[in-house]
Amino acid sequence: MKKIGIYPGCCFQGADEHNYDIIVAFLDNMGLGNVLLDRAACCGGGVIDETNKKIVYGLNARNIALAEKEGVDLYTPCNTCYMIIAKTKLALDSDPELKDAVNKILADEGLEYKGEAKIYHTLNLIRDFVGLDEYKKRIKRQISGVKIAPYYGCHVLAPNEVAVDDPEDPTILREILEPLGVEIIEGYQNETTCCGYHAGFTSPGQKERLAIKPLEGAKEAGADIVATPCPLCHKAMDGYEEPILQVTQLINVACGMTPEETHIHINKTEVKLSL
Amino acid sequence: MEKIKYTVKIKRYNPEEDRSYWQDFEVEVEDSLTVLELLMHIKDKMDSTLTFRAFCRSAICGSCAMVINNRAGLACKIQAKDKIKRGVIKIEPLKTLKPVRDLVVDQEPAFDKLKKIKPYLEADPKIVPDNTKVESLVLPEEFARYDKQTDCILCMACYGQCNAIEGNPEYSGPFQLTKVFRFVMDTRDGMDIQERIKLAEDNGIWDCVQCQMCFAACPKGIASCEDILELRRVAKDTGEDNVATRRAKFWFETVFATGQIDKFNLPAVALNDEKGEEIRNNLAKEFTQRGISQEHFVPQPFENIKDFQKFIKKVEKEL
Ligand code: SF4
Ligand code: SF4
Ligand code: FES
Repeated sequence: MKKIGIYPGCCFQGADEHNYDIIVAFLDNMGLGNVLLDRAACCGGGVIDETNKKIVYGLNARNIALAEKEGVDLYTPCNTCYMIIAKTKLALDSDPELKDAVNKILADEGLEYKGEAKIYHTLNLIRDFVGLDEYKKRIKRQISGVKIAPYYGCHVLAPNEVAVDDPEDPTILREILEPLGVEIIEGYQNETTCCGYHAGFTSPGQKERLAIKPLEGAKEAGADIVATPCPLCHKAMDGYEEPILQVTQLINVACGMTPEETHIHINKTEVKLSL
Repeated sequence: MEKIKYTVKIKRYNPEEDRSYWQDFEVEVEDSLTVLELLMHIKDKMDSTLTFRAFCRSAICGSCAMVINNRAGLACKIQAKDKIKRGVIKIEPLKTLKPVRDLVVDQEPAFDKLKKIKPYLEADPKIVPDNTKVESLVLPEEFARYDKQTDCILCMACYGQCNAIEGNPEYSGPFQLTKVFRFVMDTRDGMDIQERIKLAEDNGIWDCVQCQMCFAACPKGIASCEDILELRRVAKDTGEDNVATRRAKFWFETVFATGQIDKFNLPAVALNDEKGEEIRNNLAKEFTQRGISQEHFVPQPFENIKDFQKFIKKVEKEL
């Protein structure tokens, strides 16, 4: 059985603990084994930079090294963790001096950043690690009669260097949602604006103003549900009129789980799926 | 050189009627054109009323920023061929500025915001000599801190893609904040650091959502998003005490202590008021209801956390 390393970010703890169940079930449904990288640490969240940017390099070189030690690639469902870890990988792979310097320090913990492990997010995991054909074979039932608006969020499409798909014409989310039997609504207003999650503390009003925009756009275009791969976008945008779910939750349902089993019932905005 | 056929979809604006509309142009042109040359071809051969701004044609003057396939960039720097998606190139004016006509936008509001942050050096008399005979020295390693940022050509591609402006039109903008950063880092600058930081704060550093779009748009590879984080760091290190700096401190402390951010206590510590307490109480209630055990309210240190802490300390010192 193919195995993948689960990177435990903050989207798995406390009030968001259920996200862990969601992705473990998702990996299981995809026929993948997993190793929890339980000594991995926070990616920095775009906040530890405010203490010292070098720590962000250190943290993520170490996170990747932990996966390499286990001989697995690293997987996170979170757009932000993905972007920050992938950005670190890019920096390390293109700067031998930085890589050497980090490795000298990593050696104390018996770790080494080699640059072999790939960084996966749900979207490229399905396309490149599982394979779209295999993915389709694993779908057991159709979620029909529901109109879904795909919402990528920012950090899987920017910066361009780490984008999981063509940032100017991404299709991967549609390719993943279509086999579930849902109707896809694209090209809605504010489809590509940010969910505002990262301003939640620094400027709450800013977060509120942004979170609602794509939801309103999707609703206006006739979508019943917005689907995002990112647990942070989900958290930021849940609780308004238009419901939002994580793509992995929909996949789990299409693979035979009940909505309850994949925590759809704890959404703040209620979601009804006809099965 | 080969000729290729495709559709150019241009969002036009007619100020007389105050109307925006999409117009398709079917072209058959050499595959070597830049987007700017493509627009010149259309203006020349198909519709002389098509209006856009350009000058240097070599990514220097900063006139030709526009949105191509939903991403802002310089028309003169981008190869048209690379931008044909399913037979179509989509071209629009920068989104966060008002169009004047077709692809030309009114840049004044963004320049006004730039003026507000005092985008000039206030020479420090201790460092900058008072006569022109003696050079004002900047060491290479000092200049390296803001070298990249001095490449800004004020094209406004970053501004045209900025999500913070989408949420708050008053937000000053990525290149403006990069400019603050540039002067904060300049060893010759004599303006009080707190005054510079105040300019950054009054003009939006806490409104940035870290979407990375400014970096993705910039033809010069400037990452305003990262400059903004640096400004936040300097704000914290020069004594600013607010929800954001408390968040940053607590974030690092708990990651250092356990490997993970303690999201349960974060709101109470960062907000530091009754509302924060209320959030914590509500979280505790929610956790209990959902059957989450008390020890899972906060992250527990992982195995051999001491080694991790040594690692972080070494990274801080040696990297
Ligand atoms: S990262 Fe901040 S400054 Fe850059 S585009 Fe996003 S919101 Fe604007
Ligand atoms: S930072 Fe880059 S994108 Fe923004 S105005 Fe300057 S050169 Fe243009
Ligand atoms: S025409 Fe000068 S930058 Fe494009």
